[in-house]
Amino acid sequence: MSSASTTAHSVVEPSANSKRLAGFLVILYAVISMIPLAWIFATGWKTPPDSISYPPKVVFDPSLEGYCNLFTTRTRQTQDYIEAQGPPQGACDEVTRKREMVIAGPSNYVPRFINSLIIAFGSTFLAVALGVLSAYAFSRFKIPLADDLLFFILSTRMMPPIAVAIPIYLMYRELGLSDSALGMILLYTAVNVSLAVWLLKGFIDEIPREYEEAAMIDGYTRLHAFFKVVLPQAATGIAATAIFCLIFAWNEYAFAVLLTSGRAQTAPPFIPTIIGEGGMDWPAVGAGTTLFLIPIVVFTVLLRKHLLRGITFGAVRK
Amino acid sequence: MSDFNSIADRAAAATPPAIARKVRGLSDRAIAWLFIAPTIVLLLAINIFPLIWTVYLSFTNYASNRPNRPVVNVGLKWYQDILGSPEIWASMQATAHFVFWTILLQTVIGFGLAYLIDRKFRGHAFWTTVILIPMMLSPAVVGNFWKFLYQPQIGLFNYIVSFFTGIPPSSFEMLGSVTLAPWAIIIVDTWMWTPYVMLICLAGLRSIPDYIHEAAEVDRASRWRQFWSITLPMALPFIMLAVLFRGIENFKMFDMVMLLTGGGPGSTTELASIALKRQAFEAYRTGYSSAFAIILFVVVFGLANVYVKALNKVKQR
Amino acid sequence: MKLEPVVKNQSAPRKTWPRWARRGIQENLAVALILLGVVMLVQPFSIVLYGYSFVTVLVGVVMFIIVSKFPE
Repeated sequence: MSSASTTAHSVVEPSANSKRLAGFLVILYAVISMIPLAWIFATGWKTPPDSISYPPKVVFDPSLEGYCNLFTTRTRQTQDYIEAQGPPQGACDEVTRKREMVIAGPSNYVPRFINSLIIAFGSTFLAVALGVLSAYAFSRFKIPLADDLLFFILSTRMMPPIAVAIPIYLMYRELGLSDSALGMILLYTAVNVSLAVWLLKGFIDEIPREYEEAAMIDGYTRLHAFFKVVLPQAATGIAATAIFCLIFAWNEYAFAVLLTSGRAQTAPPFIPTIIGEGGMDWPAVGAGTTLFLIPIVVFTVLLRKHLLRGITFGAVRK
Repeated sequence: MSDFNSIADRAAAATPPAIARKVRGLSDRAIAWLFIAPTIVLLLAINIFPLIWTVYLSFTNYASNRPNRPVVNVGLKWYQDILGSPEIWASMQATAHFVFWTILLQTVIGFGLAYLIDRKFRGHAFWTTVILIPMMLSPAVVGNFWKFLYQPQIGLFNYIVSFFTGIPPSSFEMLGSVTLAPWAIIIVDTWMWTPYVMLICLAGLRSIPDYIHEAAEVDRASRWRQFWSITLPMALPFIMLAVLFRGIENFKMFDMVMLLTGGGPGSTTELASIALKRQAFEAYRTGYSSAFAIILFVVVFGLANVYVKALNKVKQR
Repeated sequence: MKLEPVVKNQSAPRKTWPRWARRGIQENLAVALILLGVVMLVQPFSIVLYGYSFVTVLVGVVMFIIVSKFPE
């Protein structure tokens, strides 16, 4: 992906015209594929009537209503009641009153978002910690049946989530872990650890053994060498792996919708339940989706050099 | 790093490494198992134990909403029921339709894009990153906002289609029509996952050493010949890798389609995982759905074996 | 008499195993069975084939696991 890979294309360098055509087609695809995202982003800044107008409005007066509706719950009141409240406090209050409603309280979006953060970071931390230890062992030591163990670890990630969810649902009910952040963290750790082991094994394989051996000759123990030499060398790999785990846990829906209902519910099952009066409140959905997706877009840009590794479990490194 | 000044260092260097390590604390073998054990224990607890439990449940009449009913062994009854059920068979066919078309479209478009990006026009790195964004998003959230784009009267998708074809936008419903709904989910999946195939194909194209093309150029092989006899065969292991992985992932597709159509209209988009969810969490036929889960699991496990074989093939390159 | 046979047995399978039992061929057969089973599972033509699909995949998977322990 980097322009550094433009090596000696001496004879086969494509002609300027073919390059221009290729560029045009790729950019055309990229722009078209961004339209849905741009549209949902724009919808977050519309008023509910604008969001469902025909023809669809490309030019509109931006409004805070979507974001206000996302963060609040509202009740309909009589004109007299609203007037008796005195002057509106803040922009959201003003927007709400125009619809003959008053703000009743905060919505569940923020708690769900925080649940997502806790569960994603908790499971990522655990998965990467377990993963880096196992990856080091698989990379450096002769382990009996190593290939079978590695395949076993990978195959757990391939399982259909719904098939796993049935017994987990029963197990968590027995253990009192259903609808708890701890239960979700453990579950996501188990799913992510397989990716972490495979990815980190690839990264650690690339660190020359000589570094540790030199350190051990200098009097370090194996454990010391691991913490003082290998871990710092693998820092980039660990960061990339962590981001992959974060994105998975952040995006996950199937387990979340089946195993959580309130307390530990994450954002993905919550966003589709945002409804206004008479159907979906699309501006609020647009606002919620935008806030939910921004971190992923940022992470994708950060990860772009390692994406290929991540999606092939570290097998294709380019 | 290693200056042999102190006597201790010299002594350490003179000791055979195996003995030295033992003396200095944990042996390598102990460390190896200490490092692997937590991962294995976690996977056994969260994945393997539930799996064995599922196998057990699949031979019983257990229902999770009636935990106090006496559990009876029913043998292979559920397996026979599922493997003779026209409804489950239909859901498998719906899955196959979905998998076949998504893979075909994604491979063709993805490979085409990779081929174009490999021309290395100015700014290709930036546009590649832009193209990759959809595949990183949450499938559930994607399904949810495509539902908005697919709205018959107000949706952007219908508007754009009518703009180019002249068909009135309210005359067709992508999600409400029996003929269009299977294609609605294919379009969204293709939008989302073409970048995935593109990225792996790009790696395949870049793995072809330049001298091969140069040699072909010297031999005056036409561009067309070069494509069919060099580019495509050499990128094929990578394409297979992408196809297998997308196949496995889409065979067990749940979240995106659940949010988009919920399996409807009727059961036209009721893919295997959605049918399983309905049996397990709406009808509470736990035994039956456990058997169904085992069937899906064995199929995915088999395909995963094939996938890892393909993965090792690519790794050797 | 005591040690030699043991040593021989360890290296013997490489040479004496018949060609059809080699890992490569067997593994490809297992993969073919798995893929055949999947096709039987999803094909829209015969419910009888659909009924036997799971057994086919299962046999393929078991075979793959056993065969992967064979020498190259």
